[in-house]
Amino acid sequence: MTEPSYDVVWPGAPSGIERRDLAPRLDTLDGKRIGFLWDYLFRGDELFPVLERELAARYEGVTFVGYETFGNTHGGDEAAVIDRLPDSLRSRAVDAVVSGMGC
Amino acid sequence: MARAAVASEAAGVPSVSIVCESFDGQAIATARGFGFEGLPLAVTVGHVDAQSASDMESNFVDHTVDAIVAGLTGASAARNGTNGTASPGDRDMGESTALGPYDTAISGSVDEINDAFAERGWSDGLPIVPPTRDRVERFLTGTGLDPQQSLGIARTTGRDMTVWSVATNAVMAGCEPRHLGVLLAAARILADPHYGAEHSGNTTGADALMILDGPSAAGLGFNSGVGALRDGVRANTSVGRWLRLYQRNVFGFTAAEHDKSTFGNSFRVVLCEDAAALADIGWDPVSAEFGFGRNDDVLTMARFNSGAIVGSAFGSTPHEIVPYLADGLARITGWDLGHLYGLGRMHYRPLLVLSPILARTCAAAGWTKANLAEALFEHARIPAWRFEKLIGEWTNLAAGRPRLTDVVAAGDLPSQFAASDDPDRLVPIVSEPAKFVIAVAGDANRTNAYVFSHDGPHGDYTAQAVERFGYG
Repeated sequence: MTEPSYDVVWPGAPSGIERRDLAPRLDTLDGKRIGFLWDYLFRGDELFPVLERELAARYEGVTFVGYETFGNTHGGDEAAVIDRLPDSLRSRAVDAVVSGMGC
Repeated sequence: MARAAVASEAAGVPSVSIVCESFDGQAIATARGFGFEGLPLAVTVGHVDAQSASDMESNFVDHTVDAIVAGLTGASAARNGTNGTASPGDRDMGESTALGPYDTAISGSVDEINDAFAERGWSDGLPIVPPTRDRVERFLTGTGLDPQQSLGIARTTGRDMTVWSVATNAVMAGCEPRHLGVLLAAARILADPHYGAEHSGNTTGADALMILDGPSAAGLGFNSGVGALRDGVRANTSVGRWLRLYQRNVFGFTAAEHDKSTFGNSFRVVLCEDAAALADIGWDPVSAEFGFGRNDDVLTMARFNSGAIVGSAFGSTPHEIVPYLADGLARITGWDLGHLYGLGRMHYRPLLVLSPILARTCAAAGWTKANLAEALFEHARIPAWRFEKLIGEWTNLAAGRPRLTDVVAAGDLPSQFAASDDPDRLVPIVSEPAKFVIAVAGDANRTNAYVFSHDGPHGDYTAQAVERFGYG
């Protein structure tokens, strides 16, 4: 006996968003202001100072805005912290950000 | 972490995200869900939590700092996947991305379709009911709904949560059309930012529990009695299965995309409260905590980490049984305290499911749910030193290993957590009595309870009304 054949549809869903371009990269970190964003997990409190030390040694005039300025990007206030992030970065003239830690 | 980077990129500020090894795929997939391809990453060697401070620092300096610079400047060393290989976040729907919702994706026998769905990651490992266009259309017949109506955007994938996609996965799971109202409520919860569906693949692996309340539940075939949390009844089981399938197929919670659960749980069947018992003792259902009335049909959902039985509670008064129930709640609560302080701020809300006879024991003494919660708050306590180790030394979930006395002094927890500085003092496991959520279900005459630990803001209690569509 031949088994019946079925035509089935895809269980996914179409994209509901537009593709976007990443922000332009910097030509150098010399003289730039780097903002640190942290989710308060996985030893960022130990690694961000190391990163600051390393970048300061390599690039002249580079400055930093600490993670505590922006708030916890993963805690109970995540939505609010991320919502105000564009304004926070703009008002502090941040040129680039380093976001951690995903583990 | 990746969501913050995405917000920066959207604001025109270049970013690089630091991720531990094998977390890169999820970060890339997260960015793709917001429309960004190729989010720059800097990958650490191994997992930082498993390294000594000196090893971690040298690994970071030797292997990660250059990638951070490259990510910000676009230098050639920039990469977005370990070893520069294609990201595991590239699970694509293949030919499906070019398909319309009504197009045939696969043709074949039941076995062939199941094989194809398993191969593509579209099923949960169990056989599915083939979602033919005819079956999906019949699922929606008489509802008056536009199949392409959007219920929201899946925050992980950017996919449009259409009614059609809900129904397709419902057919696959074996749901009945009369369950559509419950499914749509669940989809709306997933779309609600308060719930936080984007966290559903976090490494600790909590899974969602749907709690159904209202007068229609029994008529829709949901079981609230014997085996209330076990598979075996089609309504509870198939709707629970639907949630897993929908999270896979629309939210991308597979190992290839957004699921980083270390262990996870099997999907949870719907917990239907015993409406008759609640009405008999005059207690409100869980849904009342979220603004609904006793006669509303409501689905409430949250994510829970662990569950445990509190077996054979002995006693004829609430005073006799409360210490044991509280002990169960304290036992089930461990690293989850990070949602009380650390990961979250006073977000921890464990769930206690009472069998009806235990609820009646409390009600017979004139206790309301609020009275029970007050008593649980007094009894469900742990030594302060243990609390501090759970959020600090043992997990590092609260950076800097804070003392509870300092946390209270900073205004981040109530004074009960710092009644003294004795490390052996007993402190609560929630910030206030109302944080305990209490449900009533299960065998009416068995003296058992079930406790769940909660994943805080990473799947927070969210409720939605259930439409009846002429069924209940």
